[in-house]
Amino acid sequence: MGRLYIQNLAGEKIFKCKFCKVDSASHNDIISKDFRGRFGRAYLFRNVVNISLGPSEDRHLTSGLHTVNDIYCSSCQQIMGWRYEKAYEESEKYKEGLYILEKERMLKDGW
Amino acid sequence: MGGVEDETEPPKKRPRVSGDFANGLSVVSSEPDSSGDIMAHPLPIEGDKEIVGSKGVIKRVEFVRIITQALYSLGYEKSGACLQEESGVLLQSPVVNLLIHQVLNGKWNESVATLKSIGLLDESIIKSASFLILEQKFFELLDDDKAMDALKTLRMEITPLSTNNARVHQLSQSILSPVKFVHVGSSNCSPIRTKSRAELLEELQKLLPPTLRVPDRRLEQLVEQALILQRDACMFHNSEDNEMSLYKDHQCGRDQIPSRTLQVLEAHKDEVWFLQFSHDGKYLASASNDWTAIIWEVDLHGDFSAKHKLFGHQSPVSYMSWSPDDSQILTCGVEENVRLWDVSSGECLHVYEKAGCGFVSCAWFPDGKSMCLGVNDKSICMWDLEGKELQCLKGQRIRKVSDLEVMNDGKQIIYTYRQASILLLDVEAKVERLIEEDQIITSFSLSRDNRFLLVNLWNQEIHLWNIQGEVKLVAKYKGHKRTRFLIRSCFGGLEEAFIASGSEDSQVHIWHRGTGDLIEALPGHSGIVNCVAWNPANSHMLASASDDHTIRIWGLNDLKMKHRGPANQCNGVHYCNRRGT
Repeated sequence: MGRLYIQNLAGEKIFKCKFCKVDSASHNDIISKDFRGRFGRAYLFRNVVNISLGPSEDRHLTSGLHTVNDIYCSSCQQIMGWRYEKAYEESEKYKEGLYILEKERMLKDGW
Repeated sequence: MGGVEDETEPPKKRPRVSGDFANGLSVVSSEPDSSGDIMAHPLPIEGDKEIVGSKGVIKRVEFVRIITQALYSLGYEKSGACLQEESGVLLQSPVVNLLIHQVLNGKWNESVATLKSIGLLDESIIKSASFLILEQKFFELLDDDKAMDALKTLRMEITPLSTNNARVHQLSQSILSPVKFVHVGSSNCSPIRTKSRAELLEELQKLLPPTLRVPDRRLEQLVEQALILQRDACMFHNSEDNEMSLYKDHQCGRDQIPSRTLQVLEAHKDEVWFLQFSHDGKYLASASNDWTAIIWEVDLHGDFSAKHKLFGHQSPVSYMSWSPDDSQILTCGVEENVRLWDVSSGECLHVYEKAGCGFVSCAWFPDGKSMCLGVNDKSICMWDLEGKELQCLKGQRIRKVSDLEVMNDGKQIIYTYRQASILLLDVEAKVERLIEEDQIITSFSLSRDNRFLLVNLWNQEIHLWNIQGEVKLVAKYKGHKRTRFLIRSCFGGLEEAFIASGSEDSQVHIWHRGTGDLIEALPGHSGIVNCVAWNPANSHMLASASDDHTIRIWGLNDLKMKHRGPANQCNGVHYCNRRGT
């Protein structure tokens, strides 16, 4: 790898990768805190940075069938959560293009 | 071509005007019945057309007149006279000739009268011209000690013109002061002294419209304009010594751009991230993920050798800055400390640290006594070489500063601020200018003359901004690849006419700055090319740093041949398109 370009976020409360401490998402971008992931609580975010996308997969989640991509921290490659690519039920469509970050994988900075 | 035909014709008594210029005249030279016949009458051929040339924009009369003038200025008076007779186009009307004759011989009153008789002039020109002539008369009378006559001229002839009254006052003052040559030193007006008559003619000529008198050296001016235009349009123009010929449009070959790997420098043990030549082009500094920096020396033949390996950082070295006099260099470890090294000895002179924070970038001030450092606690501080803090810029708006530059005047600093903007801050005057992009800015580079800024963007474009006065986007360059990493680009070549950049496809990309065209994509590296540097003292030398742990030095294609020896005569290789003459 060359010198990774790491994006920095503005704002007071930032979530960072637990392992390598690069910025991942801002508190302002939280849409919902009501999600559960592999490791426990997870938040739905509008926008995340310094993330690499894994391949698309179809998965059965508690909310139904979805096409998702796992997301990894671009700096240390640890799995952070996933991204909703496609939802098959109307009520779940609002999640398309949004990201889930697992609380257990993140550090809070700023509060 | 007309030139070649001329040589095969029997020698003529007619003056040979260069056949290449006038399309009309080249036909003339091949006329069979014109041999030996001296110019008694204008020949009834192409030469009588109104418009000359394939584009239909050149008027024959104007064309012939400027050629005639060129002949005269080259000293070929007979040719000039012949041309006027043959073509029937006079360089100057007889009235103007008379005027010139009179002025040169000091017949002032007659010349003023002649002026009035020239139909084409309007009132104001006649007045200004008369003023000049009478002023000359005035001065010459003064020089001859004919003060009374001079005074009379001033009163009777100059003043009634009611032109340039300020000058009239100056003239009257010069009668009173006995000194002949009154050089009015610092004032804006021209010195009060007698001009030569030739100078007077020049000034008169500037007043007369071109239909009466062709501006001096007009043909030379036109040709020079064309040559300069060609040179600017030449996409590969990269050598000082390229002479321009009139016989063919100037077009350098691709071989002017460095495109061949001359040397591969393999001293780093890990990815090389940053490269920079010293200001005098004699050294190259490289910084790597292996926690070291290396100073390379360039010898006269362009061969690189490692001069010093700089150990000491406990973190990858990501940024460097040469001192203005190239005697010292600053290196910055990623989020670590900044070290000052002496270039000739390779010693570490100083380690700069700030408690609890790491540095991200560094830049020298032009006085060589202080430096500007980007800190990861979102501030920029200015320290002197002892480590004393001179100033610190903090604030909400400063982000984790990644790139930092100080301009040559020492007053302005440039840094990335927010994801998609660059701030140009005048530190004293507190004046800010902002370059705003709609994409994330990953790195930037300043041109040597500080007039332009090259900005690398997230979306694989490189933008050129003019940063003089109001910032303006000037050009965009595309073609290289950038998806995840920090890729750097730079200016380079003769007069920084080229842009070079690294790329994630392992190739070095080179664009022509003016046209924006991608000229070269040079393969060779086996990993991402992170940074490029063009030697400021040698427009044919380019260096690139890559993830494959090496640095490649690029040069001209035929360089090896040059080394082989004089028998090859290869200075001609580039310019073979001119050999045909």
